[in-house]
Amino acid sequence: MYDGKKIIPGLILFLGLLTYPIWHNTVSGKTSYVPKPELPTDKAKKECVEPKTFIRVNHKTLLEDWKFSVVRNGIRTYQASNKKVYTISLNRTCMNCHTDKTKFCDQCHTYMGVTNKCWDCHIYPKQMAKE
Amino acid sequence: MQFDRRGFLKIAGLTALGLVAKPGWDVFSKIESSEPLPTPEPFAKKKWGMAIELKKCWLEEGCKDCIDACHRIHNVPDLGTLKEEIKWIWTSPYDKIFPEHEFEYAGEEHQHKLVPILCNHCDDPPCVRYCPTRATWKREDGIVMMDFHRCIGCRYCMAGCPYGSRSFNWRDPRPFIKKVNLEFPTRTRGVVEKCNFCEERLNRGLIPACVEACKEKALIFGDLKDPESKVRKVLQNRIIYQRQPELGTKPKVFYVL
Amino acid sequence: MVDKRHKIIGEDPILFEHMWKTGKGFYITVSILAALVLLGLYAYITQYRNGLTVTGLSRQIFWGVYITNFVFFIGISHAGTFISAVLRVLKAEWRRPISRLSELTTVFILLFGVGSVLIDLGRPDRMLYAIRYAHFRSPLLWDVCSISLYLTVSSICLYLALIPDIALLRDLGGRREWFYRILSLGWTGMENQHRRLEKAINFMSILVIPVMITVHTVVSFVFAMTIQPLWHSGIFGPYFVVGAIFSGVASVIVVMAVLRRAYHLESYIKPIHFNNIGIFLMAMTLLWFYFTFAEYITVVYGNEPVHMAIFWSKISGKFAPLFWLHFVLCFVIPLPILATKRFRTIRGTVIASISIILGMWLERFVIIVPTLTRQRMPVEGAFYIPTWVEWSILAGCISLFILLYTLFTKLFPIVPVWEIREGREKAVTAVSDRIKSYLPEQGT
Repeated sequence: MYDGKKIIPGLILFLGLLTYPIWHNTVSGKTSYVPKPELPTDKAKKECVEPKTFIRVNHKTLLEDWKFSVVRNGIRTYQASNKKVYTISLNRTCMNCHTDKTKFCDQCHTYMGVTNKCWDCHIYPKQMAKE
Repeated sequence: MQFDRRGFLKIAGLTALGLVAKPGWDVFSKIESSEPLPTPEPFAKKKWGMAIELKKCWLEEGCKDCIDACHRIHNVPDLGTLKEEIKWIWTSPYDKIFPEHEFEYAGEEHQHKLVPILCNHCDDPPCVRYCPTRATWKREDGIVMMDFHRCIGCRYCMAGCPYGSRSFNWRDPRPFIKKVNLEFPTRTRGVVEKCNFCEERLNRGLIPACVEACKEKALIFGDLKDPESKVRKVLQNRIIYQRQPELGTKPKVFYVL
Repeated sequence: MVDKRHKIIGEDPILFEHMWKTGKGFYITVSILAALVLLGLYAYITQYRNGLTVTGLSRQIFWGVYITNFVFFIGISHAGTFISAVLRVLKAEWRRPISRLSELTTVFILLFGVGSVLIDLGRPDRMLYAIRYAHFRSPLLWDVCSISLYLTVSSICLYLALIPDIALLRDLGGRREWFYRILSLGWTGMENQHRRLEKAINFMSILVIPVMITVHTVVSFVFAMTIQPLWHSGIFGPYFVVGAIFSGVASVIVVMAVLRRAYHLESYIKPIHFNNIGIFLMAMTLLWFYFTFAEYITVVYGNEPVHMAIFWSKISGKFAPLFWLHFVLCFVIPLPILATKRFRTIRGTVIASISIILGMWLERFVIIVPTLTRQRMPVEGAFYIPTWVEWSILAGCISLFILLYTLFTKLFPIVPVWEIREGREKAVTAVSDRIKSYLPEQGT
């Protein structure tokens, strides 16, 4: 290859920079990091509104449905699949058990690179205690 | 099965059937009868209105109890400038609110007294017509609602409101809130806000904060459809004023002198 | 090969030169424009990060420079349609060299009209909510629909009229041949293709005229449909359309003059074009005056206090300097220039046009802001002084428009070559025949 001595190292450097996001975590040992959301320890708060498998996948849709139900329809009660009736409220229902968003919500959200705008307006219970 | 077009279609059909079988079963198996939820009382049964007895309001000069209560529980920021101020309820001189009452030869007594004004929750609200995303709408119980999640901040509702009841968040309001009320969210910058007749309190059976805070009981709130309600009783046999009734907005805040 | 090239370029080498020759002037222009665009971008980023607080807007006056820009830019967009579509329908042959440059003005400036509204939003990240949760009772949604339709139809008009020229460029070969080949859609210049193209262009030209009228009427409805004093007027629809055509044609005159000088198009864009378009502009000046006069005399005669408060603030109050300046710029300066043949030269019409463009921006400002100062609600010390952010964004929008325009002229001829040639070859006899057909038959 003409000018091979310059091209091949340059190409390797370029590919290395291009694939940096892929190999960086492996090299720096961060792939072993697993998000650890802290669950509420209080025995009375053992059951979430919906089962874990459902909530993990669908909590975004659930919260959006709740937002629509309360703000636009004025309906503030939700009947869960376990037949219990809950009040629809981010603060009074969800955050009642998961009091600190930084220890629970953010653990997975930060890891996954998920940003949500809920907290631009809504205030979680522990927030004021910190500020 | 021959590996030609027909064979391929047969295999494709069976594969599709196989893929659909489990999800289809799941969908149909979810149909189970559950106990019906207790239906919330339909909004249309009530029609909220407010009456303001001006003579009682004027008993204490410089009183700001209603304003403080409202702005406190709703996390209304104090931005300090005329340019950016946000207010859900505030006071303005009588002669500015009711310019049609200004007569050359009338007495001057109450022309400069301060009158509390807020969103009138009109029956035919112009602001609701102009919103391009329906972030503001009129609920069946008469409250003109605001959905801060949907507002795009175009300020057309502000242009449409003849009373100037709406405020806009020109910047992030959080640093300017004196003491945050955890029970109510704040707003972000870029959305319009206004009085909501304390609909979150009404839902819990409480009266609006301003009505509760008024020491002179000058603000009276209630169901206009109920002839026995306090607000209806106050409006009986009195001369009632509204702000600019000739515009046809049918405001639900009445001023009683 | 050289013969073929000569055959294609023919006697119009100048029309192709601006695509291939790039002089010092071009680079200086582009640099200045790029700098202004970057300034505008920086201003917008400041606004995006801090909120609309960086503008001069307030709780009392919450619509200002951005909404003025919106109405102004959408107004200018009426130029292309008028010159290209209306003159084509009226079979005015003098439109030939200027039809593409005016259509291009329309298409590109519409983007900035829409852009101005998006810049004005408090939550631009939610801009698509206007489509997702569309509330069709709102005049802003009518705006969205009509402007989208106008942009689509104008773009199609522009493209259709470009096809034969793109085919010419394709036939010339060179490095860009693949680009022109794709865009030319297989145009071979055969008679049947010409007929089809003619039909399509005629159809789109006729279609775009009612769309054009709808667009600025709907923009005016944003104001006219409110119940605010001096906005709630039935005349706003036609008033804004007339103002739009007025400012649009003025802009096209300026564009014509600039391109003529920059690209040495003197033999194609001639004084007669400026004369003809100047006469039309004079008619629009008078028409604009008529609407303005009708609007204000109705207000004055009615003498309602709320309306009169705003009227006086325009005539002798806070907004008097701007109001009278706009009147001088829109009427007093242009009319004598455009009305007398002696002054209706290229320089004269350009001076009149620049005056009109500035005056019409002020006119939009003077319509929007005074009503907001004295709405029916109590006045609380309202004032509005636009900040550097708003001016930078205005400068950035205009610069980006000119930049995009200039880049377009690097790719496509700005004077439609095929229309000039059609004019040379066919139009003379066609017009002569047409005139003969109007007159009584020979021998009667």
